[in-house]
Amino acid sequence: MSDKSGLRDSASGMTRRRFLGSAAWTTGAIATGAGSWAIRPAWGAATGPIKVGIATDLTGAIGYAGNANANIAKLAMKEINAKGGILGRPIELYIEDTASNEATAVANVRKLIQRDKVDVVFGGITSSMRNAIKDVIVTRGRTLYIYPQLYEGKECTPYIFCTGPTPAQQCDEFIPWLMKNGGKRFALPSANYVWPHVLNQYARKVIEGNGGEVIFEEYYPLDQVEYSATVNKIMTNKVDVVFNTVIPPGVGPFFKQLYEAGFTKRGGRLSCVYYDENTLNINAPHEIEGLASCLDYFRAVTKDEPGSARIQAEYDKQFPGNIVFAAGSAATGMYRGLKLWQAAVTEARSVDREAVAKALDHAKISEGPGGPAEMVPGKRHCKMRMYTAVAKQGTYDIVARSKGLVDPKEC
Amino acid sequence: MMPARALEGLLLVVFALLPLALQPFWVIFVTRVLILALLALSFDLVWGFAGIMSFGQALFFGAAGYVVALLARDAGVTSVFVVLPAALAVGLALAFLVASFLLLGRHPPSITFVALGTLTGSYAGDRLARGWYYLGGQNGIPSIPPMTAGPAQVSEGVTYYYLALAFLIAVYAACRFLVGSQFGLALAGIRINEARMAFFGYSVQLLKAVVFSVAGAIAGIAGGLYAFHEGFVWPNMLGVILSTQIVLYALFGGVGTLIGAVIGVIAIEIVSFVLADAYPTVWPVILGVLLLVVILFRPSGLISLFVPRRIPGEVDGAA
Repeated sequence: MSDKSGLRDSASGMTRRRFLGSAAWTTGAIATGAGSWAIRPAWGAATGPIKVGIATDLTGAIGYAGNANANIAKLAMKEINAKGGILGRPIELYIEDTASNEATAVANVRKLIQRDKVDVVFGGITSSMRNAIKDVIVTRGRTLYIYPQLYEGKECTPYIFCTGPTPAQQCDEFIPWLMKNGGKRFALPSANYVWPHVLNQYARKVIEGNGGEVIFEEYYPLDQVEYSATVNKIMTNKVDVVFNTVIPPGVGPFFKQLYEAGFTKRGGRLSCVYYDENTLNINAPHEIEGLASCLDYFRAVTKDEPGSARIQAEYDKQFPGNIVFAAGSAATGMYRGLKLWQAAVTEARSVDREAVAKALDHAKISEGPGGPAEMVPGKRHCKMRMYTAVAKQGTYDIVARSKGLVDPKEC
Repeated sequence: MMPARALEGLLLVVFALLPLALQPFWVIFVTRVLILALLALSFDLVWGFAGIMSFGQALFFGAAGYVVALLARDAGVTSVFVVLPAALAVGLALAFLVASFLLLGRHPPSITFVALGTLTGSYAGDRLARGWYYLGGQNGIPSIPPMTAGPAQVSEGVTYYYLALAFLIAVYAACRFLVGSQFGLALAGIRINEARMAFFGYSVQLLKAVVFSVAGAIAGIAGGLYAFHEGFVWPNMLGVILSTQIVLYALFGGVGTLIGAVIGVIAIEIVSFVLADAYPTVWPVILGVLLLVVILFRPSGLISLFVPRRIPGEVDGAA
């Protein structure tokens, strides 16, 4: 009954059905649905497939990001299986929805660990999500966990490996560039949650270390959408660079008001390190013309990075539509993480947690979104190339790229 | 169709024997359901029996969760004999505080006032937790160590299951006793005609404040159990979304019956589980439609499928 792409009914699905049939009459109609969400490889092996759990926000506020994560994981799975799998075993994805809701997430991640008994879990996008599910995976579940999103750093729990950019990676090269291409007077308008606080702490150090000055660092409620006071402060204090960590929904109106006040016209530089191809559409292109961002990948990188071009082309072919492959929402970290883990399992010749963690500690890949990447031994964070891009008429232009791999400086 | 008592007995036997038949994963799943059932009970007590529309039960649940998480994180206290009484006390005290503000004013408050007041409390708690870095801000408090009983760990699984079940049975029995007592009859009177009860000389608002505080204490116990079971607390645990979910649990199962709240939790959690598996990208929408359909066409909840008529001596649903 299972076709090549492999949505299926399994033995575990049947017991679940039976349980439900007897317990809840309401589910009768529903249980005849699509079956459980496991994506089986087309072939098996003597030892059975390697089970990979993906826990991501398929629904809820950041569903667009979670779906991109699930898509890229499916793409990586196909690639790996097409080349014979890992250690001669195919990999099999178990995708669970964390629903942008931590309570639901814990229940769903338990399915991966306790019911499906996966060998590794990838996922989580926000830091609060990582915090919610990490215990279930790592401490109670004794399973390896790979976290793919750019974040504030400081996650140093053993058996958690981070494959997205850290504050050091997003600031060390970017802030000097901003000073050269903007000025020395910085404003740090921010949303009031953990990531901006920790990122700004680091950014301030780099700004001041390079002879710049922070004019103000302010935190606003997450749902604030009126920023005229902030804009006024930026204009009257002759700020050169706005290093923004205000997030949607506030960021749209903020950038619009800043544009209307004439900030960019008088030569001000707008910057925001989570801005990728998704967030680019929040404002009209002319309102954010010249916005600078620094990430591990932009679509524009594909012009002269053949590895990235291949992944991007493959993604666009398999998943046309509006769920795009972008760095700000963990999709690049997801691909990088899967490949690093593949390298580690291959070296360890086993999926045992200890062995894989030991190999993953120094794993390297020569090709990934944005180029090669390698884990920093003992740090469980990932060195990668970083790119500085500027928004130009609704797309990005790469204006600077790191010389080599940038150190995450964590743990 | 069966009488409510038979339904209660059946559920009791099923829950008592369930771990023998289930794999560990399911035991943990059902433990969570039991804890949420406690929470739904606390709402049914105030709305179904005293007619107080509490849109803020999550406040007491979450506050107790945060307090036990802090006890575990900062004071290293994880003993079940300390943390659960502490959770109960936090729920009780906070609910009494809210009740004295909302209910014990000079004029008797309207249902809308209390509903919005409790909703505001829940919202304020959520915002406070998000902005307060001692509480971990947006990220909450992760990695709460396991609960202990003397030298032994009460870890998730069969032990925790029976702990939660014991609390659920005890609280359920206490609620049953409470609503059947003179106090419960007075509450029913208040719900049906408050002015007349006041005329009879009952201190109506005080009775309401008492039942509201008791319900707060129950939500507190649930919060303490939940925090240790899930291993983390986060701002949404205090917030409006969970508060609303609690109302849905009770409405879905049937309010004013106690057992209905428990059935509501079981049904919603199982349906969510199946839907999330079968339709990972649209399941919340399907769940929403399903809830709407049941509440529209079965206003007295799922319980009305099992129990045909009003039970003698029992009070009816959301009048």
